[in-house]
Amino acid sequence: KHRQHMKKFKNKGKDAAALRMQRVEVSIELRKAKKDEQILKRRNISLYAKEGNLSPGQDRPDEVIQLSLEEIVEAVNGNNPKLQLLATRVARRLLSKQKDPPINQIIELGIIPRMVEFLSGADNAALQFEAAWALTNIASGTSEHTRAVVEGGAIPALISLLSSPHMHISEQSVWALGNIAGDGPVYRDALISRDVIPSLLVLVSPVTPIGFLRNITWTLSNLCRNKNPYPPLDAVEKILPVLVCLIRHEDKDIITDSCWAVSYLTDSSNDRIQLVVDTGILPRLVELMASAHLTVMTPALRAIGNVVTGTDQQTQAAIDAGVLTVLPSLLRHTKPTIQREAAWTLSNIAAGPSQQIQQLITSGLLPPLVELLDKGDFKAQKEGVWVVANFTTGGTVDQVVELVRSGVLKPLLNLLSAKDSKTILIILDTLSNLFVAAEKLGETEKLCLLVEELDGLEKIEDLQNHENNMVYRAALNIIEKYFSGEEILDLEPQTGQDGLYDFSVEKQDFNF
Amino acid sequence: MELSDANLQTLTEYLKKTLDPDPAIRRPAEKFLESVEGSQNYPLLLLTLLEKSQENVIKVCASVTFKNYIKRNWRIVEDEPNKICESDRIAIKANIVPLMLSSPEQIQKQLSDAISIIGREDFPQKWPDLLTEMVNRFQSGDFHVINGVLRTAHSLFKRYRHEFKSNELWTEIKLVLDAFALPLTNLFKATIELCSTHANDASALKVLFSSLILIAKLFYSLNFQDLPEFFEDNMETWMTNFHSLLTLDNKLLQTDDEEEAGLLELLKSQICDNAALYAQKYDEEFQPYLPRFVTAIWNLLVTTGQEVKYDLLVSNAIQFLASVCERPHYKHLFEDQNTLTSICEKVIVPNMEFRAADEEAFEDNSEEYIRRDLEGSDIDTRRRAACDLVRGLCKFFEGPVTGIFSGYVNSMLQEYAKNPSVNWKHKDAAIYLVTSLASKAQTQKHGITQANELVNLTEFFVNHIQPDLKSATVNEFPVLKADGIKYIMIFRNQVPKEQLLMSIPLLINHLQAESIVVHTYAAHALERLFTMRGTNNTTLITAAEMAPFVEVLLTNLFKALTLPGSSENEYIMKAIMRSFSLLQESIIPYIPSVITQLTQKLLAVSKNPSKPHFNHYMFESICLSIRITCKASPEAVGSFEEALFLVFTEILQNDVQEFIPYVFQVMSLLLEMHKNEIPSSYMALFPHLLQPVLWERTGNIPPLVRLLQAYLERGASTIASAAADKIPGLLGVFQKLIASKANDHQGFYLLNSIIEHMPPESVDQYRKQIFILLFQRLQNSKTTKFIKSFLVFINLYCIRYGALALQEIFDSIQPKMFGMVLEKIIIPEIQKVSGQVEKKICAVGITKILTECPPMMDTEYTKLWIPLLQALIGLFELPEDDTIPDEEHFIDIEDTPGYQTAFSQLAFAGKKEHDPVGQMVNNPRIHLAQSLHKLSTACPGRVLSMLSTSLNAEALQYLQGYLQAASVSLL
Repeated sequence: KHRQHMKKFKNKGKDAAALRMQRVEVSIELRKAKKDEQILKRRNISLYAKEGNLSPGQDRPDEVIQLSLEEIVEAVNGNNPKLQLLATRVARRLLSKQKDPPINQIIELGIIPRMVEFLSGADNAALQFEAAWALTNIASGTSEHTRAVVEGGAIPALISLLSSPHMHISEQSVWALGNIAGDGPVYRDALISRDVIPSLLVLVSPVTPIGFLRNITWTLSNLCRNKNPYPPLDAVEKILPVLVCLIRHEDKDIITDSCWAVSYLTDSSNDRIQLVVDTGILPRLVELMASAHLTVMTPALRAIGNVVTGTDQQTQAAIDAGVLTVLPSLLRHTKPTIQREAAWTLSNIAAGPSQQIQQLITSGLLPPLVELLDKGDFKAQKEGVWVVANFTTGGTVDQVVELVRSGVLKPLLNLLSAKDSKTILIILDTLSNLFVAAEKLGETEKLCLLVEELDGLEKIEDLQNHENNMVYRAALNIIEKYFSGEEILDLEPQTGQDGLYDFSVEKQDFNF
Repeated sequence: MELSDANLQTLTEYLKKTLDPDPAIRRPAEKFLESVEGSQNYPLLLLTLLEKSQENVIKVCASVTFKNYIKRNWRIVEDEPNKICESDRIAIKANIVPLMLSSPEQIQKQLSDAISIIGREDFPQKWPDLLTEMVNRFQSGDFHVINGVLRTAHSLFKRYRHEFKSNELWTEIKLVLDAFALPLTNLFKATIELCSTHANDASALKVLFSSLILIAKLFYSLNFQDLPEFFEDNMETWMTNFHSLLTLDNKLLQTDDEEEAGLLELLKSQICDNAALYAQKYDEEFQPYLPRFVTAIWNLLVTTGQEVKYDLLVSNAIQFLASVCERPHYKHLFEDQNTLTSICEKVIVPNMEFRAADEEAFEDNSEEYIRRDLEGSDIDTRRRAACDLVRGLCKFFEGPVTGIFSGYVNSMLQEYAKNPSVNWKHKDAAIYLVTSLASKAQTQKHGITQANELVNLTEFFVNHIQPDLKSATVNEFPVLKADGIKYIMIFRNQVPKEQLLMSIPLLINHLQAESIVVHTYAAHALERLFTMRGTNNTTLITAAEMAPFVEVLLTNLFKALTLPGSSENEYIMKAIMRSFSLLQESIIPYIPSVITQLTQKLLAVSKNPSKPHFNHYMFESICLSIRITCKASPEAVGSFEEALFLVFTEILQNDVQEFIPYVFQVMSLLLEMHKNEIPSSYMALFPHLLQPVLWERTGNIPPLVRLLQAYLERGASTIASAAADKIPGLLGVFQKLIASKANDHQGFYLLNSIIEHMPPESVDQYRKQIFILLFQRLQNSKTTKFIKSFLVFINLYCIRYGALALQEIFDSIQPKMFGMVLEKIIIPEIQKVSGQVEKKICAVGITKILTECPPMMDTEYTKLWIPLLQALIGLFELPEDDTIPDEEHFIDIEDTPGYQTAFSQLAFAGKKEHDPVGQMVNNPRIHLAQSLHKLSTACPGRVLSMLSTSLNAEALQYLQGYLQAASVSLL
């Protein structure tokens, strides 16, 4: 999910000259999913809940009753409430095992519909709770597992349990619903269409205990999550004001999940981004980008990164909120993922109009950018290359000169030996941009020498043997345009295909 | 074609005939096969033959024919017919893999290639079972089969290394990973186990190691785009095994061959690449393994011998260290003084040593040696890798590394001093070490541009380089001589000028050295020193400073061309050219001898031109001789003609195509030196220059146009009187050129010269024809380039023949033509004209139309008067319009037009800028003001009233400025 997101990129077609390089959207993933993303579904294995003697972590040995699976089925389907409770609890305990909970086996027992029935038994709170808990943990598995819960009819029952007089039951339902919402857009919207949001929001109040509030925030964030389609507009409009409050809470986990929620809402079209910008939340997000906690910093950075993929005005709002003052330290962050996202964010700011590029310069972003290109993590370097590419496409000649002065060429040319064709191509395109600027200043020769001194010429020459056709042509083009010209000063003729001088017409003006 | 025995028999016979050495038998057979390859079953017949034929040669021939057939026909090109019928395609895909795997190696390779060609088109969608089919063979235990599968997989997957990331590509990779990654990993483990069980079986080991190499290559391809989840989870397995393979040695796998890398070297080399890939791209995940690899690779380097067969491995391994030591977070792996010392001592110094193979190249293959050493085509050499490692280490440890190496340099120099004839290689290594340590940035043009400040380059130069070059015996220790000369060359910007001046006689002396490398370097060093810039954009070394050495320099340069192996040495010839250009008139006394030697050389090489650079500089040198001499004494041109024409005639008669364009340029230069009438020797040649065969070769066109222009400038009246019958031929050339979008500007150059120089009456009868041609081109295929040239031409015509003549000839071709050209071409397009002279021509021409063409004042053309004036003011004041219509973007325009035939080839045959308007009009704005004033005097009131009613305000303001500057006013 992370990659897909990283590919989102500004493409402002203002006019042909200002058209930014556009990234190819790749939704196929070869890599492992990353650990620093927000968790989609969670299992309830240790209970901090407040129902006193029911804490599973503290189950005394004499309370632990072993039942076979057959016995569980029998008891659950039977009419004895005590046995029902006992069996449901045993099932719940199995599902709460640290390792390899037997979710499949439990589903295969066919007892989910029965557990859903237990949810509505308002006279048996203990049973309601155990059933909700068991269902939470089943829904925490794969999509298939979640489907089993939904198809067992759990959604309406869980939603009505939100208003249970017992707080721990209400909380368990919040959790279960969070798992269902996290499965994907279909179940998320199924929940929303059953009006889950108002019932959830009612639970948020100044007196809601922290633990409960954390669960609510997390579930809300899952309701904001996923695209294709995005969550319905009116749902977003309902959630946003509450998020704005939650994100100002002092609890770290609540802040974290609020940030994730905002990051999902901004990973969207420009009009959705606008809804978020309009809440005035950007300064708070920027503040959180500088948080000491990685868990907070990551989603806050993501959210701001998404905002600057938007329109120039939206990007300006992020700049006004101070994003440029925070980015330098993030570009230097020890964590590669932070470096990458910071560079990605910067690349989108660099894709803006020249006034924004100017702000980027004045805020001192060039030195950390050069450092990143020189010794950052490889993926961060790749993003850094995009920053430079966009900068040279949209920047004025003066700004480009400033960029070159900051020492960007050396690391940029070094990256021509990167093992990634696309990066190489972008660098070559960037070099062409630099040469265009140099031509305007009449300093082509100077740039040629600089490139050669930094061992760039050798690398570009070498790229003429690259297997990738576009890379080869781009390299050839630069060599032909800027580096064979040296021979005019040096009187060196070109060698044609036949190994002899190519005498085809080439016009030059001479003054002798 | 039926799948019948009869057809198999026929095919066998034809295949056999394609192997016949006699083209009369071979060609028809090839033709026949081509003619039937569209038939159904043809590929299946070939597959049957390559499997079942009794004769091995037919099997091989069928397999090659099959592969080529697939290569030509498999791809389905949009809008073209499918060249292989669907049932054949299906049958081929169903049979080819087992067939490939059961074939002997020779045929297996062909079929494997065919599979990858098919795979490129059909895999994965249209060939879904290919992967499973291949993977299943891993279990066969037959490594002949397994290697066949691996080789095919490698040719299918290697494109992952260079293609751009895309959904399509990644979907394919994911599919491959799902089916292939686990079996490959298992195969890898199994193969390694087999290697230890068969550790004593040489032939088994060979097969197994071939598999390991292919597996390691597949690993590289599959891990290239991104780190796949599977490989991240199995990194331990792969890296642990790679690591132990790096440290593995087995006597049975060592080869006796000194040159060719063995299996063990190839495998380790690939593992270094794999480690480098992970270190660069997946640093975070690879970090725990990296230190182990650094140690292993380092040990590998310490224990690997000097033989050439290890070169690739060693340079890959060193490059790995070089790339790692620059990373800040691995700095600590190298930081320790002992580590640094040991890297310097055991890795860098040994790999900088001059080896037997280098010595061999120095003596017997000097051209290759020079290319590697001087021009930097040494990317894969050990020395280069060692040099890169030095530079990498200097990033963080410049001080300590310089310190360590200074010690080495000193001790190596001491070794040398003890016994130079035995220990000279120590000094060579010392010089190389100093060079790599000191050079931080380098360009061909300036040598070293940034040096390590911790190294005292001048001191080293004075103490250790100059003494070698001062030695009386130029042929002693040639390698050290070459090193010394190279030192001067690359550090020329660091060594003070007085030291360079002191070195010049030494360099001149070494032009006599027998060693090709030494005298080549001496020539090259001189040439580079002569191009250094001093203050005020002059050369650093002046002609005056060179005065004492002119004779010996020229003598030794030309003598060097007689040394064995250097008769066409381009460095020497370039040094000759550069010396002429620097020394200017001080070479005049030597010209008679110089031109004789150059002419002889020209005669000799024209028999078989093979060194383009040499030839080019030779012609440049000839041009310089002519220019320098004739500048002082123009009459000397005759003696040059005398010396050169004989050879030129021979070149033209023998049609030495490479030289003809040069000859035309030199002739142009000579002809332009004549002040008076055109000599008869040139006139005799004139008809030949119009031969179509010459104009069919594009390389001839610019120099020939230039030459014809010189004829027209110098001898237009002679042509008109003595060669009037050739005028249609001359215009024929113009027509030929104008018909080409690429060459039309050359046609205009010629036409402009004709109009400017030929007596009007001699071209009178052709004038209408010329315009018709131009209008046709304008109508049918106009391009921006053509329009620009056309505008310049008609204005030049207007200046030469008058505005009225222009209007009359246009209107005589077609009524109202003049108005149409004004309205549709001149007014809207004039803004596109570029170039100072070109703009001036247009300004003066248009001024004439405005002020000296009565129909502009009193016919329907009057309505165009103001728009034309406005366009002219726009030409003066607006920025150039350089927009090009969309569809023209793709036209191949090699040239943008200019009035000048500025033609770049021979720089020293260059043409002076020519301004046909010249002194006649100095300032075209003032000229406009004055002409308008004159017009208004002739018809008072009219001009003013036109201006005030319809000229736009801004233009009017500009115009008032011109009038003011010219101190005239309108009536």
